[in-house]
Amino acid sequence: MTISASPKTHPAMSDQDWGFLTMSRLPSKYNPAPSRMFYVYLAAPAITLLAAITIYPFLWLVYMSFHKVGFGAREDIFVGFDNFSRMFSDSKYIDGWVLLLKYSAICLSIQVFVGVALAVVLNNSRYEKILITLFLMPMMVSPVVAGLLFYYLYNGTFGWYHWIFESLGLLGEASILASSNTALYGIILVDVWQWTPLITLITLAGLKRVPQDQLEANMVDGAGSISNFFNVSLPNIYPFLLIAILLRFMDNFRFIDAILALTGGGPGNSTRLLPVYLFDVSFQYFKLGRGGAIALTLLIVTIIFGLILVRILEDPARKKALSGETDS
Amino acid sequence: MASREIISYDKGVAIKLLKWISPVFLGFYLIWALLPLFIMFMASFKDLLDAFSVPDAGDWAGVTMFFDFSPTFTHYVALFTENNFGVYLLNSLFASIGSAIIAVTLGSMCAYSLSRSEFRGKKDLLFWIISTRMAPIVAVIVPLYAIFRSADLVGTLPGLILAYTTFNLPFAIWMLKGFFDGIPYAIEEAAQVDGKNRFQAFLMILPLAAPGIGAFVILCILFAWNDFLFSTIIGSGGAKTLPVATKELVQPQNIDWGKIMAAGIVTTAPMIPLGLLVRRYLVAGLTMGAVKD
Amino acid sequence: MVTVSFNNVWKDYGGGALAVKELNMNIKDGEFVSLLGPSGCGKSTSLRMLAGLEHISSGEIVFGDKIVNTLPPKDRDIAMVFENYALYPHKTIFDNIANPLKQAKIPADEIKRRVIDVAKLLEIEQLLERRPQELSGGQKQRTAIGRAIVRQPQVFLFDEPIAHLDAKLRARMRSELKHLQHKLGVTTIYVTHDQLEALTMADRIAVMNDGVLQQFDTPQEVYQNPANSWVATFVGEPGMSLMEMEMTRMDGDLALAFENKTIKLDLKNKARLTAAGKTKLLVGIRPDKASVSQLEIPGAFECQIYSRQLLGADVLVEVEFGTSRVRAKADTSFVGAVGAVCHLIFRSEDMYFFDAEDGKAIPHQC
Repeated sequence: MTISASPKTHPAMSDQDWGFLTMSRLPSKYNPAPSRMFYVYLAAPAITLLAAITIYPFLWLVYMSFHKVGFGAREDIFVGFDNFSRMFSDSKYIDGWVLLLKYSAICLSIQVFVGVALAVVLNNSRYEKILITLFLMPMMVSPVVAGLLFYYLYNGTFGWYHWIFESLGLLGEASILASSNTALYGIILVDVWQWTPLITLITLAGLKRVPQDQLEANMVDGAGSISNFFNVSLPNIYPFLLIAILLRFMDNFRFIDAILALTGGGPGNSTRLLPVYLFDVSFQYFKLGRGGAIALTLLIVTIIFGLILVRILEDPARKKALSGETDS
Repeated sequence: MASREIISYDKGVAIKLLKWISPVFLGFYLIWALLPLFIMFMASFKDLLDAFSVPDAGDWAGVTMFFDFSPTFTHYVALFTENNFGVYLLNSLFASIGSAIIAVTLGSMCAYSLSRSEFRGKKDLLFWIISTRMAPIVAVIVPLYAIFRSADLVGTLPGLILAYTTFNLPFAIWMLKGFFDGIPYAIEEAAQVDGKNRFQAFLMILPLAAPGIGAFVILCILFAWNDFLFSTIIGSGGAKTLPVATKELVQPQNIDWGKIMAAGIVTTAPMIPLGLLVRRYLVAGLTMGAVKD
Repeated sequence: MVTVSFNNVWKDYGGGALAVKELNMNIKDGEFVSLLGPSGCGKSTSLRMLAGLEHISSGEIVFGDKIVNTLPPKDRDIAMVFENYALYPHKTIFDNIANPLKQAKIPADEIKRRVIDVAKLLEIEQLLERRPQELSGGQKQRTAIGRAIVRQPQVFLFDEPIAHLDAKLRARMRSELKHLQHKLGVTTIYVTHDQLEALTMADRIAVMNDGVLQQFDTPQEVYQNPANSWVATFVGEPGMSLMEMEMTRMDGDLALAFENKTIKLDLKNKARLTAAGKTKLLVGIRPDKASVSQLEIPGAFECQIYSRQLLGADVLVEVEFGTSRVRAKADTSFVGAVGAVCHLIFRSEDMYFFDAEDGKAIPHQC
């Protein structure tokens, strides 16, 4: 069904346009070949809007990161790399990265382990369809509402989850969110609650794409079901898991809604992940210049991971594996 | 001819063990997944006193206390009469639907162009488009706020719709391009041979893409509705949405948990049927098209 | 090395879908048997039941003296080559071939020795470190075969292994596979829909249609004495032409009536048909035994040309003969336009006779 995308043979292109194409990087609005204009007109509104709301803010972000941004009537003062150097020596900034990585690592480990196990069990269950629909519910909740809900559940006095923790002997009287030793785990639990089903969904999609004849060949080769899973299924779902992990990791950079509702970064700084710290700096301390600098570093790292993700998605072998084509 | 099921022989201890553990595992997970929502639901009907009654630690039998209350609708009523939730509901509705419509309209046209045309730098353009979707909101929000403030867009619905578009539009372009890539160009060629112009040919294939486009409208609504960061920074004031309003119910003193739970239900309830509707596209939507169900 | 038997085997997919009906077959030790038939005839299902990849609905499958119904594939000591090769994309060719040996927990140096031996035999030893994606169709197929023979099982199962290779390679592989099987001497069951493969490779062919075994015999027998009209038209390319005829009398003798013509019978067939006593018959003639000519020859039948196809050495002409179409061979010098009149000749000695009601072949007189 897919059309070859190489320029020479793309069906939507007519021969007369090639001279123009070799000259420009983007469809030029000033010197287009006749039939090209259609595509330009069609794409223009979206591209212009997108550029306006992303490039302009990005430039402003860069500007801010080199200035001390004044308020109201006060002027912006150019400070060179001052914001950046202060940032790198700011312990809360470094801790922000450490916490972000620690949080992601723990969340993802649990989510992958439980998510994959769940997918395997579901795949062999009669009730797969109805169950997966029910398991999806947590993903539909607004993250901030999920945060508030668990804030309620964790409460040391009347929280039902706290009651369970205390009855099991896991905690004392203080809520899980009250101690800087345990608060991080409190927010990890919420992330695991919300997003494990996503890993399960992705793994299920992958499991269903494992070519049946590979499994059968392995059975003829002498394998039982356990070996079938580790020898054939797991390697086949590996690309799916990779993408799932990358996406969730990048999402951890973006979504701090639940954390804001649960702890706001505390107690102390035990849950002040870097994006949370950025939020503080920008909207609590109103140090927009320093916020800009932090935001830039966050953005750069996100882009790097985004490039990795796109590399993986575009890799022809992976692409084939993901779309479930068998090798014949 | 051959069946699609992998044959199973009930041999091996491991398999028998799995058969026993599976329903237990699934049962536990079901409880784990739905319990918080269930508690939220029940708590929204509990008045102040009941909401705070929890048994002593270790008193497992005290679980029945959870069910021991007289349900009341006061919280729901109060939300709409005292706390203006009717307005917030409408704000959420307009902002998410508005943003979804803009994103999908402009996005589908752009996606179609990108799908059918070829040029140097196309890969870079696509990467730029998707990078805007990956950008941490916290990073983008600061300059966005500054710009919106000088354009007097803060606290307005159009401003909020525009803010949502920062993530819905690239999402729509990226996903719908994948969709159009899967529709053979042959149909537009046939249409042009039949005498239609280029734009009419484009319109001809829209019905083919309709289910996908419909699903992404709903996904855009889902993402916008559940958003908190944009809504709280850009929308607060005149364009407060449900998630923001719900969070704001948490006051330093006298937290009315019943009301908050009710607000949570109001915010979550419309998303459940929507999620079920696009269940098939959820995986694709949440993985940016990487995985198709 | 073992005998394989189907005893009254049925496969029911539920809802009335019977894929295999009452299959009875005894395959000798070391024999190369081909399961031949069109799509949906039950041949792949039968093979998969042999492998243990499908449950047997009723009946038994016996290897040697052991009933294998309840044994999973790994306990049956079989090896299988799949239609799409089923290679493991994340493993090297070496690991692909070594997989069955690893499952059997054979020591590593032994594995290495056997894999390299097999790779040398199949001429793929230079590919051992590559991945399946890098191989051509033929190389992948040889890897799949390597994986099957490295174990030295007691039964080989092939499920249309060369179906996806190009024509020239297929022709080569037919002789390679036949040679290999002869060398290894392992009981082999080979599923195919290509009657040429079956004819050229098998010691015996099991022809199946619609879940029912039609005939189980040597290629010569199946070709020369097809059990029914369906087998007759399925085996042999270009296929046999069938015509509906009736017994009649001419000059007091038994003859065939066809349209408004009468065809004289030779003595042997006269006796055979008299003994059978059927009136309505299906008469078959193979194209190489029928010829057409532009000239009027005594005993020839007038007919109209329907199509003319060049086959290389000769020409296949399809003619309209009454209400039937008959395929005949002609010399490349034969030039006739569609619709032109020509003359069809065939001898009654070359005819195949089947009962018009049930399609069964009319038995020969001994």
